[in-house]
Amino acid sequence: MSGVQSSHLYSYQRAARIAEAREQAGGGFSDEYGNVDVLADGAQDGARSSGSVGPARPGPLEIALAAVARGDHAAFGAVYDQAAPAVLGTVLRVLRDPAQSEEVMQEVLLEVWRSATRFDPSAGTAAAWIMTLAHRRAVDRVRSEQRAAQRELRAATAAVAYDEVSDAVEANLERERVRRCLAGLTELQRESVTLAYYGGYSYREVAELLGVAVGTVKTRMRDGLIRLRDCLGVD
Amino acid sequence: MRPRRTGLHTLVGAYVLDAISEADRAQFERHLLTCEQCRDDVRGLREAGARLAVAAAITPRPGLRAATMGAAAGIRQVPPATGDGAPTRLSWRWLRQSVGPQSRPWLTAVATAVAAVLAVTAVAMGLHLGSMQRRLAAEERRDTAITAILGAHDAIAMTAAVRTGGTATVVMSHRAHALVFTASGLARLAGVREYELWLTGPAGSTPAGVLPRARHGMSGPMFVGRLAPGDQLELTVEPLGGSHQPTSAPVVRLALGI
Repeated sequence: MSGVQSSHLYSYQRAARIAEAREQAGGGFSDEYGNVDVLADGAQDGARSSGSVGPARPGPLEIALAAVARGDHAAFGAVYDQAAPAVLGTVLRVLRDPAQSEEVMQEVLLEVWRSATRFDPSAGTAAAWIMTLAHRRAVDRVRSEQRAAQRELRAATAAVAYDEVSDAVEANLERERVRRCLAGLTELQRESVTLAYYGGYSYREVAELLGVAVGTVKTRMRDGLIRLRDCLGVD
Repeated sequence: MRPRRTGLHTLVGAYVLDAISEADRAQFERHLLTCEQCRDDVRGLREAGARLAVAAAITPRPGLRAATMGAAAGIRQVPPATGDGAPTRLSWRWLRQSVGPQSRPWLTAVATAVAAVLAVTAVAMGLHLGSMQRRLAAEERRDTAITAILGAHDAIAMTAAVRTGGTATVVMSHRAHALVFTASGLARLAGVREYELWLTGPAGSTPAGVLPRARHGMSGPMFVGRLAPGDQLELTVEPLGGSHQPTSAPVVRLALGI
């Protein structure tokens, strides 16, 4: 048992060292695995490459995920370290309930473990894949809860849901960039995007909350995301 | 026609933000199957969405890591995209058996098509013929099911266009109550969706397997057994890992006439 695990560990560590060396050769990045900034850099990798067909080179999260796809349990620890903070933070914004959010975060990470073989690097970065799973699961949970009539309470807390983006948590560079880029959106674009993403609201609900037409909200969500994408330099 | 398409395309933001109903989502995903530009848009905007997630990151309680790692150790992973392997590896033997002079012409045509899928898969797997044959010997038992169908005397073949693009081919043996499914040129799906086969009869739908990710445009072959009278074979688009029941309308439906 321990023999198997240590060989996994070895293979992952070797991949990690290669990745690290690559990053250093690329200049700038020489961080340890296991924090949020690494994830952000992973996302940037995909972004930089997106002009060509498929990601040009995998980031640390992609490399760890590829090892997980081969059943590498130690590499799953690295995926956890890189992805769990963003997954938990996002799910918590949507659900607001810490216990439930931790539960959903675990579900998402276990789904990542289970389905790592199905991650397709040509369809986007590992971060985008995992966060898509996470956000959708959080929203699905909200929607099923709404049927259980918790909606009023949530509406009351909606206003703070996006205002406190970045405030209650430790500062990092990525957060500052996102905050700056969000500030570059029109107010309606920003509210539409953040109420949907952090509030977990449907476009119809956002239209209701903001008192604007449904069609307007749809286009503001699209235009806001496009502007955000361009500002962040991802594609 | 045009306003409708524009309307759907406008949904891309709401789709990426998960701000749409299940019905809208299903409709938009059907649209995605045929709109390459939309798929590109979704991909780019998802990267932006991921950054919103990163910006919200908080540090989980320390105990959660060990708990999650421990739970993972007890969960079996989904097999890789090349599938279970068994169906894809019988190709060579089957080729020798079926594409001989005594083969019936119609079956030869299908055989060639299926063999193309198998050969492409084999090449994609990077296996040498020698290692392939060794695997064949070792997995003979598992291969038998598909070989039996493709070589069955009562085997019939049918093809159907897939609504969202591509062609589905089925070779079926009534006597064996089983079929082999392959498809070519299926529309590429977003990373969180997969194609799933269903047997749908009077009593409802039963899962018949999630298609491995296509290689060089070829999907399958998939073995589907235990066909019951009245069954239809359906292919739907499902969330990653497949569903217990279909969650979207079939992109192709084949009445099996069994």
